[in-house]
Amino acid sequence: MSDALNITATPDSQWKRRFLQPLLRQRSAVAGLAIIVIYVVAAVFAPWLATHDPTAQDLMASLQGPSAAHWLGTDSYGQDLYSRLLYGAQLALIIGFASVALGLVVGVAIGLAAGLMGGRTEWVLMRIVDGLLAFPELILAMAFMAVLGLGTENLVYALALSFVGPFARMTRGDVLQVKNQPYIEAARLMGVPTAAIIWRHVLPNVVSPILVQAGMRVSIAILLESGLSFLGIGVVPPTPDWGLMIAEGRAFITMAPWISGVPGVALAILLVALNLLGDGLRDAFDPTTQKDA
Amino acid sequence: MQEPIFSLLDVERTYELRRPGWLNRAPRQLKALDGVRLDLQRGDTLALVGESGSGKSTLIRLMLGLEPASDGRVLYGQRDLAQLDAEEKKRFAREVAFIYQNARGSMNPRMRIADILAEPIRLHRLCAESAIAERLAALLDRVGLPAGLLQRFPSELSGGQIRRVAIARALAAEPQVIMADESVAGLDVSVQAQVLNLLRDLCRESGITLVFITHDLGVASYLCEKIAVLYLGRIVEQGPTDAILNTPRHPYTRALLQAFPRFDMPLKASLSGEIPSPVDLPKGCRFAGRCPEAQAACRESDPALTAFDAERQVACLFPVAGAQ
Repeated sequence: MSDALNITATPDSQWKRRFLQPLLRQRSAVAGLAIIVIYVVAAVFAPWLATHDPTAQDLMASLQGPSAAHWLGTDSYGQDLYSRLLYGAQLALIIGFASVALGLVVGVAIGLAAGLMGGRTEWVLMRIVDGLLAFPELILAMAFMAVLGLGTENLVYALALSFVGPFARMTRGDVLQVKNQPYIEAARLMGVPTAAIIWRHVLPNVVSPILVQAGMRVSIAILLESGLSFLGIGVVPPTPDWGLMIAEGRAFITMAPWISGVPGVALAILLVALNLLGDGLRDAFDPTTQKDA
Repeated sequence: MQEPIFSLLDVERTYELRRPGWLNRAPRQLKALDGVRLDLQRGDTLALVGESGSGKSTLIRLMLGLEPASDGRVLYGQRDLAQLDAEEKKRFAREVAFIYQNARGSMNPRMRIADILAEPIRLHRLCAESAIAERLAALLDRVGLPAGLLQRFPSELSGGQIRRVAIARALAAEPQVIMADESVAGLDVSVQAQVLNLLRDLCRESGITLVFITHDLGVASYLCEKIAVLYLGRIVEQGPTDAILNTPRHPYTRALLQAFPRFDMPLKASLSGEIPSPVDLPKGCRFAGRCPEAQAACRESDPALTAFDAERQVACLFPVAGAQ
């Protein structure tokens, strides 16, 4: 009883203890986070960090190797690769996070509706989700791009749609578990309105594995986005996009390997960093994989 | 005589059991409750006593409106629980509080104690937002916990603390009836005594009506003025605590009392066998199979709960006479 009095933590230190410390204990997650921060800074400050307009063509200076004027060289149109790389980071991160956020919101809404309503609604919703899940993400996104047409915005919608399935299924599973907990019934007994029960009692108890999953999905989204652009069904050239840049350099791979190499390496490092952070988040917050520290 | 706050009129609760397989799918019926009659007056403290599977928990879930009665009616005041409108439901939710057997499980693990306790207060707008902090401190003080616990999560509290928080939450809505399911089971003896004293003081001071489920006759006699003994979904004996403990009239009550350990007597297992399955109720008295005094008539006719004397009702064809 006496120790009950003196371990009264303030909300601030509670947050540190519950969120920050477990994450900081994951070394690789911290490394991943650091790399991502560098990318985010580069993307945010691209207009100031870039030495050239990313879409300005200078055919006189095409296919040049790294030099003082063009730090990472130029491509076949004479566009500055360093500047395109920075703006490309902006695009990759925006598309990655936006598509996952959109897919998460829609998927969680479907999962909540299916899990809570049950019966026929659940059956119909989950069959739709099964349909979405039957296709590999890349194929599904390609199909949607074919329907929606090219463009950055459409790319976000297509990727988001391909993420709805996994989020919906995961949410439904967790909701089915949580909704039978006594505290849900207790809240109903106290007369708490249904909307408040969902918002206060159901959502907070299903949200953490979903957020971990979202962190992992961002890297998949960026990879898919680059892949689609590489295949020519993503963003429209001359938008500075890594996938597009790799595709453009393909023809010159023996003469000017830096055109494909620079965005390729940038993409690889970002994906590794995102996966490190995702794994770290999972190890820190998913109770089923928690190891003894 | 004042009007009862709860009345149960021949309440039944049956569950349909589906047999596995495609053939022979005639559903069987499980009678969890069978013809329960009960009147609860304002200010009463009633213990529901019985073995596991006797229908105590089903009975309380029916009284809380969590499950509908298959037959018969559950009245709260004058109104049937199944027919409350939205306004009355809200009032019922405020006036009747339930303390779960699994106190920790009945609280959202992601909420702080302060938010858990404030939820019913905010919900029913019982006091101004600025006065909530004061009210929470008063509630914790009432159940004998330090105010420092407010910022903790349920998983950080001990078993005794969490049950007191559950009591505090029940009190937060300023209820008129508290129902508690095995609220002291599994606690060590000293903590159990603290929680029992707390509940008893609350009932005495604020005139709260208490319905308490327990399988422990000692707990029942300490806390409650009335006892209802359940067996296989029916109340077999009901009356004032003293009378029931001193002169049990139903052979089952007597057997329960004998199974209760005492210092001065060797313990003998007075009840042989398990409680029969409620799926296939025996014909006649449901206790006949285990009753030491069963007679031929007991296997033929099923006794209903009838008045034995002014205060006591017994469901037995041949009530036990005289002192124990």
